[in-house]
Amino acid sequence: MGSAASTEPLSTPRYIVSPSVRVRRESFGLLFYDTRSARLTYVASGEMLSPSAGDPCGPRELAVAELAPSREQAVARLLEGLQAKGLIVAVGSAEQ
Amino acid sequence: MRSDLLSSEPLVAPVNVTWEITGRCNLDCRHCLSADLRARGKGELTFEECLAVVDDLAAAEVFQINFGGGEPFLRDDFLSVLEYAQAKGITTCVSTNGTLLTDELIGELLRMDHLFLQVSLDGATAGTNDAIRGAGSFARIVAGVRRLSELGLPDLSLNMVVTRLNAGEIPDFVSLAESYGAKTRLSRFRPSGAACHTWDALRLTAAQLRWLAAYLGEHPEILTGDSFFALAPEGRRELGLNRCGAARMTMSIAPDGGVYPCAFLSDPAFLAGNVTEVSPIAIFHDAGVFRRLRGTDVESCRSCARLATCHGGCPAVAYFVSRSVGVPDPECLREVMAGVS
Repeated sequence: MGSAASTEPLSTPRYIVSPSVRVRRESFGLLFYDTRSARLTYVASGEMLSPSAGDPCGPRELAVAELAPSREQAVARLLEGLQAKGLIVAVGSAEQ
Repeated sequence: MRSDLLSSEPLVAPVNVTWEITGRCNLDCRHCLSADLRARGKGELTFEECLAVVDDLAAAEVFQINFGGGEPFLRDDFLSVLEYAQAKGITTCVSTNGTLLTDELIGELLRMDHLFLQVSLDGATAGTNDAIRGAGSFARIVAGVRRLSELGLPDLSLNMVVTRLNAGEIPDFVSLAESYGAKTRLSRFRPSGAACHTWDALRLTAAQLRWLAAYLGEHPEILTGDSFFALAPEGRRELGLNRCGAARMTMSIAPDGGVYPCAFLSDPAFLAGNVTEVSPIAIFHDAGVFRRLRGTDVESCRSCARLATCHGGCPAVAYFVSRSVGVPDPECLREVMAGVS
């Protein structure tokens, strides 16, 4: 019996901005603000990441731009770092 | 990293806005930064104008508004403005003198989200505090803080403006704050407003500055905002406190709607516009005063090894001491330390 992983499409996590965090686009990339601590996090992500539009109080998804394969790993590491800091949350998978 | 990013292009909007929502106050502190604004007395924004300002700031995704004054709770519609800002997703900080904190008012505050409350107290003892904030104020302020603690208000801090009179009480002040479950915030004494007249008498001595720099290095839990970026040792750079945020990360709105780069630069020379005529965000981007301040470079600091640490220090202190923002902060830590030997 083949494993489930071998028959399902490849997937990548989707991320939303943590409920206690706000984020906005800046010329250098993203600026995160933690409403619990008022701490700022500057992310020099350029055009690679962008929060969805909408209610700043509501859930905002973080969209990843189409990337050259050589940059995919770097962005994955960046997202993991943001997740480790509690700024974003993985909410499942997006089909590729 | 932060400084590099801030140097490249202005942010799309301030991170936080200081809003002196009223000039009225029931105290008369010797270092009040708003005393000049109060003396010029040009009135206050109406409730509708306040809501329009909040709308502008929310649309620009400003993260935080620091409400102060004067005493903000003297304004009858203040809670409504506060709630409106919170409903727009803006984190709110309120700086109060703590003398008007009834159980009813605290109950209203307890219902709110996104609220940080800061109570001003200028000593660990009545004698020291009252010499700065007025006779009998210590007892009234501490009574308010005690009720805040008893009723369980989270995110409470006690703020001391550090002067020659109270610097020696900082450890006791921290203990006092802790006894009420509050954080300690230390703010820099700057010679603006009423402090222009008390600067020489109340400014820290060199020995106090050296002690304070060491103390802040040993106590990273103490909040300072950006007050001591010029003074603080290297370790605090990691907190991002290494550059003046005026016109870059922050701006200040006066009771009458006048806009300045910072509450400590609320001088006619730095008036950049009025929110009743122009959007505050347009002022942040386009006002000549803001552009000039962003472009100011303290020439004599260019060769200093600490330039990346403090970027020349506080322009407000430099301006009110020398009438120029292009000169070094007179409390430059390097100069203070050099005085040791």
